[in-house]
Amino acid sequence: MGPARRVAAPLAGVLLSLALLLSTRGLNQVVHGPQLGPGFWPRLVLIGLAAACLAKLVSVLRHDRGGRSREAPSGEARDGVAGISRAKLAAAIALIFLYVLVSESAGFALTTAGFIAAFMWLCGARSPLVIAANTLVGTVGLLYLFVKAVYLPLPKGDGPFEAVTLALYRLLHIF
Amino acid sequence: MSEILANLGAGFVHALQLMNFLMIVLGLAIGIVAGALPGITMLNAIVLVLPFTYLMGIVPALLLMIGVYCGGVFGGSITGILFNIPGDPMNVPTTWEGYRLNRKGQGRYALGLAIMSSAFGGLVSALFLAFFAPPFAKFALTFSTVEFFSVVVFGLASVSVLGHASLTGALISLFAGLFLGTIGTEAQYGVERFAFNVPFLKTGIDFVTVLIGLFAIGEVLDQIVAAGPAPAAEAAKTTAVPRLPLLDLWPLRWSLVRGTAVGIVVGGLAGAGATVSSFVSYGLEKQVSSQPELFGTGHAGGLVASESSVNGSTGGAMIHLLTLGIPGSAATAVMMGAFLIHGIQPGPLLFTKQAEEVYTIIAGMILANVIMIALGFLAALSFAMLMKVPAAILNTFIVVFCFVGAYALRNDMADVWLTMLFGVLGFVMRRYDLPIPPLIMGVILGPMAEQFFLTSMVANANDLSVFITRPISAVILMMSALMVLWPAFRAWRARRAPG
Repeated sequence: MGPARRVAAPLAGVLLSLALLLSTRGLNQVVHGPQLGPGFWPRLVLIGLAAACLAKLVSVLRHDRGGRSREAPSGEARDGVAGISRAKLAAAIALIFLYVLVSESAGFALTTAGFIAAFMWLCGARSPLVIAANTLVGTVGLLYLFVKAVYLPLPKGDGPFEAVTLALYRLLHIF
Repeated sequence: MSEILANLGAGFVHALQLMNFLMIVLGLAIGIVAGALPGITMLNAIVLVLPFTYLMGIVPALLLMIGVYCGGVFGGSITGILFNIPGDPMNVPTTWEGYRLNRKGQGRYALGLAIMSSAFGGLVSALFLAFFAPPFAKFALTFSTVEFFSVVVFGLASVSVLGHASLTGALISLFAGLFLGTIGTEAQYGVERFAFNVPFLKTGIDFVTVLIGLFAIGEVLDQIVAAGPAPAAEAAKTTAVPRLPLLDLWPLRWSLVRGTAVGIVVGGLAGAGATVSSFVSYGLEKQVSSQPELFGTGHAGGLVASESSVNGSTGGAMIHLLTLGIPGSAATAVMMGAFLIHGIQPGPLLFTKQAEEVYTIIAGMILANVIMIALGFLAALSFAMLMKVPAAILNTFIVVFCFVGAYALRNDMADVWLTMLFGVLGFVMRRYDLPIPPLIMGVILGPMAEQFFLTSMVANANDLSVFITRPISAVILMMSALMVLWPAFRAWRARRAPG
């Protein structure tokens, strides 16, 4: 990691803490008399956060100048995302967020089935039989456990997806 | 003493009747499984079981709930050790050491230690409850919010032992966690803080979303992109059947005793409970250890101390509930409700007026902790089999379970989004060696610290000296200061040493 990027993270931490600290100005308007108020604790925490980020910044700068600091800056002990498949990482994160995004409108049952198949393939499973079996058994098992046994109202989806989910629940005798 | 023994004997006779015994076993099984599933906590399990007890008699109903309670506080350790997913916040310190041991191929050892330590802690605390409940309750009453604040500070001070590579990194992580704990509507004044008109932020960030995201999703992402075989697959070669390390516990006996003692004392303080006791016990253990540098890398002493304190806290919490009629946590509050429904009025007169029921409950707790060795073993065996499942399947279902666990918190997709976002943050923190445990501690203990601090200030006219003029608080704060300063002193002395 380059020096600029090493400095950027703690610097951003300091600036963010200070910005949040400014936003606490109005918090104590409800306080009457000698009370610490709801703004006291967050201010204390944000000052601590800013100070810790500042200490890290100083440590990084000192290390870059002459290596006199005994504490290695973060990111050096493990070289961040170097040596990993960034495409795979991006695909995994995208798939997880897509799962959450779609499940509200398409329902938990259908989305989970799709997610299990896609994520297993991404993780290296290639046998269609294994993927299909896990998708089917996994989805049905989860529905029985959480909807039938624990009464968890998992998202059913909107419009036609809701109809499909409800039909599936009836087929499985969950409803 | 002879009266207590006679009452306890009668309690065992009741608890060992077939129906009652089966209720303990059933409760333990429900508690262990619920505790092990992220998102379904021990509290959820107690609440779910409560309606089923309405149709039962007093004794089986209470024993069922006792079983769920004792099993629930242990269950989360299994998934913590095997998959780095603590079922409950109280199982977090166990996860730090247990999962590392598992990664080293010592999963069987870690599971065995967790089972035995839990059973020991729970058993001793139940015996403590039987013999010392009234005097201990008197001691617990001397604690005010001032002392509670000091206890929480002691837990937070253990952050100095959690930053393995960098103290500043640990502090950044801790303060970030403390900040997350301030988001939402403040309890005393009803003021919104850092919600920025985002509806779901107004109710605050549930620490379970942070916990599941940072640990489980972060771990899954880390495993997916890591070169070579996934750690879970590696561990599967050595992790199959948990073993019960009876002899291995002997060298760890003092960790066990310290953890149990901390569990009983901290668990007996209303408002503190198992989570605080596990953090305090872990921090204390590192301070007294001769190998503090090994904590966080798979240290058996750390695991034993935290695990015994978690179950040790059950007896302490019951002391408070039974002798004073004051529930110290949400779980004991639900149990108090069950007691009242079944005609048991917790309070100072309970041990004399309803001795039969009370000592049956205590006998049930003792039995539950003994049976837990067998049931914990079976549960660990079942979960350990999952380690043989290919990483592709395991990682996929971990994500799905995290989704459900997060959604189950408030039936709100916002919690699922937060969990996944914290998952990405967890991955980044792992990759850049920012310690995750301090952030978790900040989120969990921060709101408690704020509440105790502000209440203490209101009660003492903003006089900060109250924290050092009250002797118990002063001693705890002094120990916290020592905890922070001692590693720095040791490092300074090492630097000055010749050669």
